[in-house]
This record gives sequence, structure tokens and C-alpha cells, in this order.
Amino acid sequence: MMFEFLNYSFMERAIVAGTLVAIITGIVGPFLVFRKMSFMGAGLSHGALAGIALGIILGLSPTLMSVLIVMGLGFLIGLVSRTGKISEDSAIGTVYTFFMALGIFLINLSKGYHINIMGYLFGDILAISKYDILFALIVLIVVLVWLILRGRAMLYLTFDEDFAKITGVPIGWDYYIFMVITSLSIITVVKLVGVVLAGSILIVPSASAKMLSKSFMKIIAISVISGIISIFSGIAFSYYLNTSSGPSIVFFVTAFFLCVLLWQFGSNTTSRKVKIKSPSSRP
Amino acid sequence: MDRYALILDSVSVRYGEKEAIANVSMKLEKGKLHVLMGPNGGGKTTLIRAIAGLVPFKGKIKIYGIESHEYLKRHSIGYLAQRGETVYDFPMTAIEVVEMGRYGTKESRKLRREKAMKFLEEVNMETYAHVPIGELSGGQQQRVLLARALATESKLMLLDEPLTGMDSRAQSRFYRMLNSLRARHALTILIASHDMGFTTAYAENIMCINKTMVSRECIAKLLAEPEIKELYGPNIHLVKHYHLPQEEDNDV
Ligand SMILES: Nc1ncnc2c1ncn2[C@@H]1O[C@H](COP(=O)(O)OP(=O)(O)OP(=O)(O)O)[C@@H](O)[C@H]1O
Ligand SMILES: [Mg+2]
Repeated sequence: MMFEFLNYSFMERAIVAGTLVAIITGIVGPFLVFRKMSFMGAGLSHGALAGIALGIILGLSPTLMSVLIVMGLGFLIGLVSRTGKISEDSAIGTVYTFFMALGIFLINLSKGYHINIMGYLFGDILAISKYDILFALIVLIVVLVWLILRGRAMLYLTFDEDFAKITGVPIGWDYYIFMVITSLSIITVVKLVGVVLAGSILIVPSASAKMLSKSFMKIIAISVISGIISIFSGIAFSYYLNTSSGPSIVFFVTAFFLCVLLWQFGSNTTSRKVKIKSPSSRP
Repeated sequence: MDRYALILDSVSVRYGEKEAIANVSMKLEKGKLHVLMGPNGGGKTTLIRAIAGLVPFKGKIKIYGIESHEYLKRHSIGYLAQRGETVYDFPMTAIEVVEMGRYGTKESRKLRREKAMKFLEEVNMETYAHVPIGELSGGQQQRVLLARALATESKLMLLDEPLTGMDSRAQSRFYRMLNSLRARHALTILIASHDMGFTTAYAENIMCINKTMVSRECIAKLLAEPEIKELYGPNIHLVKHYHLPQEEDNDV
């Protein structure tokens, strides 16, 4: 049977978690892509490693600790790039390598503990617990509430920060809230594909969707759907070939991106210009 | 105080060590079309951004008699940025862009759409309402962004080089449109421009800025700028328009 793997409860958990992650990243990703903050996901996910290690050493929940560390990191990157004279990507570049080093360092210190480092680095679907699913569910709800309440403001802020500011969008607040949203999202991804590859899941489906539509809501929808398909394929692949879930999922996410890219190349000359049936004499 | 929409009192802006504008004072009468001229780097954009609260400044700016930061906390103003400061390849349609001007109003989605459509009609862009902003021509984008500024329903419009990307026919139409909008909505308009043609024809007040100087008698000096000579040739001529309040030394 093709779908026998669904009978396994860890498989069910992986599928449920994968769906939740695809929806979360499909919503958050486009904002990051259009704000040219694609690097943010990768930067924050590396911070999660330090949180996980700290959690294990202190005997606290690794998820909780990574939430705290990653949110702190997101806030720090925001602060450095908004008040300092350096750009977001340089801020991320300087801060996240340090957190990665700190994470590995802490893991080294905790030698006595049993830590599946490969699992944290590249994802381990066997390790997804029902608490992880619960966490992802809560994050999804938070993300949806945020989208409803602040989505419009965030869209305006992403398109044209100056005009948004003039019309009364509290851009500072919205920026930091978005950092929190991104941090929470990345932690759900880390569970599925690991610290190293999480950035890809957050960004690549949205980057593919960006090429396929000129409507922001459709871009979100496409990145959610393509994310779900890629993640399912990756999980199935990882199950049958017994590989780490992270690389398998990233493989499919990237394959989809490449297909879209090739398809765009093919139809580029015909679809770029949109003809409008209207008086062309207007200046 | 009632007469003026905007009062600037020794406004200075620095970018780090660099002083972009220094001690600029001016008063803009309500309901008129004011033009701010000056060479590249003269500080036009900086001044407009200071008024809009987008760059910190020293000195005083009053909008309708209220200190500008206070005013901006409670009201929007119409703002059209200089081209190149906005990302144009973005998944929003013309009407969605215009709806940005309605942010902060408590109106329903449907009413917002209707109002945005009304402002698109004002700039003759209603047929393009559902076209993505990135697929419009430069001049069409400018008109959509003007509609967005109008959609704030502010009486004060700050337009930074709105003519960029328009051919001369489009420029002339743009000014006619602007003038009729000004009349209908009693707008006070401040335009930054270094255009010598239609701008001077429609302006009721021309001011010049080159870091410090803001004067009404600078057109001759401006025309002598080497860049402008280069651009328009050595025999540039400024045509006087009968309906303009005349300056003494307009002709070169
Ligand atoms: N963000 C910035 N950082 C540093 N210097 C700046 C910045 N923006 C403008 N300047 C400087 O301030 C001065 C005034 O620039 P501004 O853009 O206001 O001129 P402008 O009159 O609008 O010019 P243009 O006609 O080219 O639009 C220039 O010397 C410019 O180099
Ligand atoms: Mg300028």
C-alpha cells in the first residue's frame, strides 16, 4: 500500500506537524521575501541551537529555551539594524554565527547528556512529539491572529515604509511584533528540518510563489500549498529511504523552486506583458 | 496663523556630519500651489521629508498651526515620494495601493474600496484599478501614487518631483489635473521640482532652496546652474505667464 506509512503514529505526527509548519511558513515567508529579509530565517534558526542546548543543560524545556533565545535574537537583530548604521543582513550575519558557536559549545559542555545532535541539526521526524504539534498549533493560531489584525499594516510597511509611517502605521511596533512572529515560526520549522535547513523552508516556497502571482494573498496561498506538497513528499521520501527529514524536505522545496524557475524561463517572453483593454491615448 | 497651511521656522537637517539644509524658514498659504526649486542635492527632498516627519530636524515646523509631530500623530498628510524611493515591483494592484491612503480610518472594506476607486477616477486611472502596480508605466504609477496621496483626504499634499517619468504632454495634463483637484478640494500643494516648464506656469509661489537659501528671486541663479545649462542648452529662456505673480528677474 502506497500510504501505509500513515498508519504509524510518528508518521501521523510528522504529517500533522509538516502541515502546520507549511501553513505558518507560507504566511510568514512572503513578508520576509518582500522585505528582503530572506536571511532572517537562517539567522534565527541557528540561535535555536543555543536555546536547545541551554534547555537540556538547565533541565528546562528545549523548546521554551529556544523560544526565549530566538526571540531575544530577533529583537537584537532588529535593534541593531534599526538603530545602528548597519543593514539587517550584516546584523544577522554577525549575530547568528555567534549563537551557532554558542550552541555547539554548550552541546560540547553537556557531553554527559544524551543529545541527538544530528537530529537537531538536520531534523528527525521520529523525535516529533505531541507537544511539538501543540506548540506548532499555538504558533499557527498566533500567526493567524496576527495576519488578521496586523496583516494589512505589515503589507503596507513592507511595500512602502515611509508612506505607512505617514498614515499612522506604528512601524516600530509592527516591526518588532513581526520579529516575534518570525522567531516563533522558525522554531516550529527547526523541529521538522533542523537548525541548519530551517531557513530554506521559511523562504523557498514563498520565493517560488512570488514568481507565480502578482497578488499577495495568492502568493501566501501558493506558498502554503506548495509547502504542504513539498513537506509531504519529503517526509515520505525520508521514511522510505530512511534519510534525515530535513534534507529530504529541502530537496523537494528546492525542486519545486527550480521547476517554477525553469517554467518562468520558458514562458517569460509571452507572459510578461499584460495587455490592458483601455484607451492607450492616456498619458 | 489661519492663512498658512505650513510654517517652517529655521529648520535644519543633518545627515551625520553633513548639513543638508540649514535655517530654512517659509510660510505656505492655504489653498495654493507652491513650488520648491533647487539643484540636485539642494535639499528639496530633505525638506519635504522633514515636514512629513520622516527625518529628524532642528527648528519648528507647524502644520495648520499645530507642531508637526503632534499633527502627524493624529492626521495623515498626502505624500508622494521621489521616484526610486518606492519598490514598484510588488504584488499589489493600483487600487490596493490607493487603499493605503485610507489606513487608520475605521471604514468597512467595501467603503474603502469605493473611496479608493473614486480617487483613481480623480486621476483618470480607474481602468487600471486591478493591474499590478509593477506593470504600469512610470507616469501611470505616479498618478496612482498621487491618488494614494489624495486618498488620505488631507488638505496638504507634499509631492516630490511628481513629473519624473512623464512626457511633456503628460506633464501638462498632470498639472491641469492637479490644479483642478486643488481647486475642488481646497488643497495646499507643495511640489519639489527642477522643471522649468509647466511647474513655473502653474505655480503660485516659487521658492528656491540650495542648502540654506530659500528665496523667491532665485530663478535666474538657478537657470545659471551649469547642469541646467548643460541640460537645456545655453540659450534657455523662461517664459513669463500672465497669470503668475511676477518676480523681477525671471528672465534670463
Ligand atoms: N540619507 C542621506 N544620508 C546622507 N546624506 C544625504 C541623505 N539624503 C540626502 N543626503 C544629502 O543631503 C543633500 C540634500 O539632498 P536631497 O535629496 O534633499 O536633495 P534634492 O534637492 O532632493 O536633490 P534632487 O534634485 O537630486 O532630488 C545632498 O547633499 C545629499 O547628498
Ligand atoms: Mg530630491
